[in-house]
Amino acid sequence: MVKCSPRLLNRTFAALADPTRRRILEHLAQGDRCVTDLARPYSMSLPAVSKHLRVLEYAGLIRRRRRGRVHSLKLEARPMRQALAWIEEYRKFWEESFDRLDQYLKQLQAKEKK
Amino acid sequence: MSTQNNPTEKIAAQPFMITREFPAPRELVWKAWTEPERMRQWFGPKGFTGTTVKLDLRPGGMLHSCLRSPDGKGMWGKWIFREVRPQELLVWVHSFSDKDGGITRHPLSPTWPLELLTETTFVERGAKTMVTLKWTPLNATDEEIKTFNNAHQGMTQGWGGTFEQLAEYLAKN
Repeated sequence: MVKCSPRLLNRTFAALADPTRRRILEHLAQGDRCVTDLARPYSMSLPAVSKHLRVLEYAGLIRRRRRGRVHSLKLEARPMRQALAWIEEYRKFWEESFDRLDQYLKQLQAKEKK
Repeated sequence: MSTQNNPTEKIAAQPFMITREFPAPRELVWKAWTEPERMRQWFGPKGFTGTTVKLDLRPGGMLHSCLRSPDGKGMWGKWIFREVRPQELLVWVHSFSDKDGGITRHPLSPTWPLELLTETTFVERGAKTMVTLKWTPLNATDEEIKTFNNAHQGMTQGWGGTFEQLAEYLAKN
């Protein structure tokens, strides 16, 4: 089981639910960016981008560094890794159960043949 | 008049589905799903051990079991059967529970749906059996449906073509 705070996890999920925010995260995986870099490909206004960035920051998915007047943004891998691991968990639950059932049924039938 | 802004309007739940073809006749697969001694051989992720304390296989009946993780932690679960059609269909309401059978929240997510409708079908394919399991939130709030939808769509859908690059970044950092 992956352990992380339910409250943070919910914030992370809420942040990941929006397609624009997912694009921003993908963009940041290629390297740190400033706010204007992030606004350009989506022809979004700076306030609109800033709003998305605040949600991502609140969810712990990105970190902001100020260099003078320029804000540089960095993708924080850990909370995102945790959220993705949690997402996979119940699929894993059934997939691993099905793997075991497959093995079990094979064993049973091998025994019968003997 | 448009109902778009109707606050009682529900968000559509996206069911979770998993299908597998098992190399065994349907009769045997059904037994493996419905007999506690057989179920404990496979139910749960790798390394988990399950103990069924109660099984009443009929509509309205209950399965109550505890899954123990490799580190020894117990997680109780409860199934209330809705439909039992031997070797064909098993429908139950799936929830987390305490050891007395009371419904509880997901241990990690307070907005995970309390109840999931589980429909499992068994289809004969010659000497093999195709099993399909479908999970849909039941009596869920919008927030619970959102949590459920996000959980299984997050990985596979809704990411652009650069998700692999993102996965690489996450692996390195």
